[in-house]
Amino acid sequence: MEQIIKLIVLGLCMGGIYALVAVGYVVVYKSTKVFNFAQAAMITVGAYALYQALIVWSLPIWAAVLFTLAVGVALGLLVERLLMRPLIGQPILAPIVVTLGLMLLLRGVILMIFGGQVYGYGEHFLPLGAWHVGFVTLPMIQVYAFIISMVAIFALIQFYNRTRMGLAMRVTHEDHVVAQNLGINVKRVFQYSWVIACVLGVISGMLLGNIQGCCVELDVTGLMAIAAILFGGLESIGGAIVGGLTLGVLQMLTIGYLAPLMPGEPIMMVPFAFMLLILIFKPYGLFGLVRIERL
Amino acid sequence: MTTSIRNITKHREQRYSYGLTLLREEMEKKYPMPKEEDVGKKVVLKGEGINLAFGGLQALMDINFELKEGELLAIIGPNGAGKTCLLNVVSGFYRAQEGEIYYRDRKITHMSSHGIAELGLCRTFQNIALYTGLTVIENLMAARHPHIKYNFLSGMLYFPWASDEEVRQRAICEDIVDFLEMDAVRNHVVGSLAYGLRKRTELGRALALEPRILLLDEPMAGMNRDEKEDMARFILDIYEFLKIPVVLIEHDMGVVMDVADRIMVFDFGKQIAEGTPDEITVNPKVISAYLGTEYAGV
Amino acid sequence: MAIHRPCGTFDRTYYEAKAIFRTRLQWGMITALILALYGIAFVMNDYLLGLSIVIFSFIVAMLGIQIITGYAGQITIGHAAFVGVGMYVLACVEAHLGWSWWVGMPLAGIGAGLISMFFGSPSGRLKELYLAFATLAAHFIIVYVISNWESMTGGVDGIWLSRPEPLLGIDFMVEHNYYLLALTLCIAMIYLAKNLARTKLGRAFVAVRDNDIAAEVMGINIFSTKLLAFGIGGFFAGIGGAMYAGYNEYVNVEFFPLMDSIWFLGFLVVGGFGSIFGAICAAVLWKCLDEMATLMTPVFSQILPGLAFYVTASFSLIMYTLIIVIFLVLEPRGINHRWNIIKASYRLHPFAY
Repeated sequence: MEQIIKLIVLGLCMGGIYALVAVGYVVVYKSTKVFNFAQAAMITVGAYALYQALIVWSLPIWAAVLFTLAVGVALGLLVERLLMRPLIGQPILAPIVVTLGLMLLLRGVILMIFGGQVYGYGEHFLPLGAWHVGFVTLPMIQVYAFIISMVAIFALIQFYNRTRMGLAMRVTHEDHVVAQNLGINVKRVFQYSWVIACVLGVISGMLLGNIQGCCVELDVTGLMAIAAILFGGLESIGGAIVGGLTLGVLQMLTIGYLAPLMPGEPIMMVPFAFMLLILIFKPYGLFGLVRIERL
Repeated sequence: MTTSIRNITKHREQRYSYGLTLLREEMEKKYPMPKEEDVGKKVVLKGEGINLAFGGLQALMDINFELKEGELLAIIGPNGAGKTCLLNVVSGFYRAQEGEIYYRDRKITHMSSHGIAELGLCRTFQNIALYTGLTVIENLMAARHPHIKYNFLSGMLYFPWASDEEVRQRAICEDIVDFLEMDAVRNHVVGSLAYGLRKRTELGRALALEPRILLLDEPMAGMNRDEKEDMARFILDIYEFLKIPVVLIEHDMGVVMDVADRIMVFDFGKQIAEGTPDEITVNPKVISAYLGTEYAGV
Repeated sequence: MAIHRPCGTFDRTYYEAKAIFRTRLQWGMITALILALYGIAFVMNDYLLGLSIVIFSFIVAMLGIQIITGYAGQITIGHAAFVGVGMYVLACVEAHLGWSWWVGMPLAGIGAGLISMFFGSPSGRLKELYLAFATLAAHFIIVYVISNWESMTGGVDGIWLSRPEPLLGIDFMVEHNYYLLALTLCIAMIYLAKNLARTKLGRAFVAVRDNDIAAEVMGINIFSTKLLAFGIGGFFAGIGGAMYAGYNEYVNVEFFPLMDSIWFLGFLVVGGFGSIFGAICAAVLWKCLDEMATLMTPVFSQILPGLAFYVTASFSLIMYTLIIVIFLVLEPRGINHRWNIIKASYRLHPFAY
């Protein structure tokens, strides 16, 4: 029993980051109807940018975080303007290939600059140490990561609900052409979506880099978060949050109970198996909307 | 020079007056042509108590209909009345919550769409749904799919019999292309064709599937007068020559009144009237649906 | 396409209308090309022969994804894993059953086809993006199973296997004999793919790709058509994998990383969607670029000592992505379309239309 509660709490902490990554996917998909596989690479970028600022340049934490966020913003603007805008209106395969390619491009750039070693922030970023709550030992970095993720998601939801741009974005989610006719600058909305997604990506990158260490394989963690979105359907932020938390718990439970029974590292495989199962039995996600097709 | 032109003209006339010969031969091999005494009497397609709802929206409410052998049935009604929904239910694309559909005494309510199409309920679509990457002739050949008799392995190895079968099927499709007067564009990719020609290709594709009932969903929408006349001519030719019943959804009242044997009128998912064109024109319910209640009493 | 024919060539029968090669010139050119490809086996050195064999195996594998994605329109991000299944089926047949390559190769194709069909089966209900997720998951699951089923696949150590047994006195340990075998297989598979594309099933594939709803209502069973697309595409992938593994005499999970699955898809776009010629171009371009990146390694190690390995890896990643993106933005229909334009303008010269 203690074991289960421990795993669930740890899973929720991890799940917070998955939720953050998943929300990043959802933001772009909702606005632009492009599924941004490169979100996975934004994580790596965030992790390495923070490493560069914090460790290599030894900037103070606030400056390093600001630098990383700026990298995220710049990346979002660049990607949207250079890659995605020429592809508006192309068949669905084009954005899939381009975002997948972008993921590998960013991986390539990082490999070129940093090489393949694994870096860590040590004690320079979030405080190490742990809290003991009853029998559960909570590593501080995990708890902070959870809190930061939730704050970021909360801020995003507030942005959607309270600001003028958020309203415009919600209109654009419904229909691009209608939004354009209403006088909303759809291209600007796309730009905002990409920037938001990239910023969310680099935030989750900083947190993940802190927990798992900076390595180019961080993007696989990003791909795992796709399972979280499928849980809630591609267009639902709430679903992504629930899905992320569930995924985290599920993964921790797998490590706790299933891993001794299975060879190798099932931790990598479980989210994908989970994803396949969801797709087979609930093709549009557990809470997703089923489209009625017309002839 | 003149003689040759005359010869060609004569040849063409001959071809058109006997158009669709190959297709008809092919169809006669599989089942006999309808008997004279059945025409207008024997029921070939029957729907009983069809109810279809999308969530809270009742798209079809308790629809009953019958289509008799050799009959041209038109379905009219304002937009959103459920005409296309009915065709979609018949061809198995939507599943009705209640009700049964029978095709020549065979229940087809739960059959798969492609099974229904293989039975011979072939249709065209309101919003053109062609295979845009293929040429006109390939579109027709793709529709021959259920009737081509070799498996994919002999196709991949290109055995002589597969090659012969391809040519035989190709001849049937070319016959249809000739009939629809589309020979000039037979090798054009469908995506690049004009609207009217695409509509015609759709008709050709339905023909290539060997229809025993032809379901036409607004074949003349968005066409000008000439194109409408052409299309009406094709439909009547098919109707006469293959002796198949036709269901026609159309908004152009002139065309409908001219060609239909019987008309069914839909409004808000309900069937409000049924009868010959003459009966329909004076039916008060129809008038109120189209023109407003104040005209209905007159 | 009629436009690529010289003026005055008319079709008198439908047999002529559907022929792949119509004129004597075309026949002559293709015969000369094939003869030349056979002939140069005896002049090339082992390095070039090896490169060519790799290219031939990837052409076959690329035809597989062309069938699944290019013709039938089912996006797959797990194609490299299907190729890997082919490699491992061959390796396991050789290592555990002791059967020769000649039996293992078709079994590799069939095995990969079946696995591909299994992971393609969600395509009955899934479309486009969702199917891409499912095949992405398939990639990770296949790699996990292969690297952890140690009794069968030897885990991460991989399996050693042997070249094809001598047939008719031809020893395939000799490099140029294996080249001839790979070339023959490759031509045979291209012929099969081309026939597939122009007959019944190929048209059904395109119908499903262009308008699956209409295809269902027009008498094509789309679920079985999609499954067949996955099966046949997987078969091609498996044969390609068997050719590659037979040449290397060794298989390992490192041979088919997720990256390769993405490159399969990306280079398919570069080559041209829905054309056999496009798939061939794609595979040739990809593997030549790969070789170029490898050749650059010593150069890099001189410029940036110590980092050469990573620079090479990242160099190819960056280069490929840029090529794919440039093609998508400037020529979305790929090399095949450009080649058709060149042929047409040669035919129509001096007119521009």
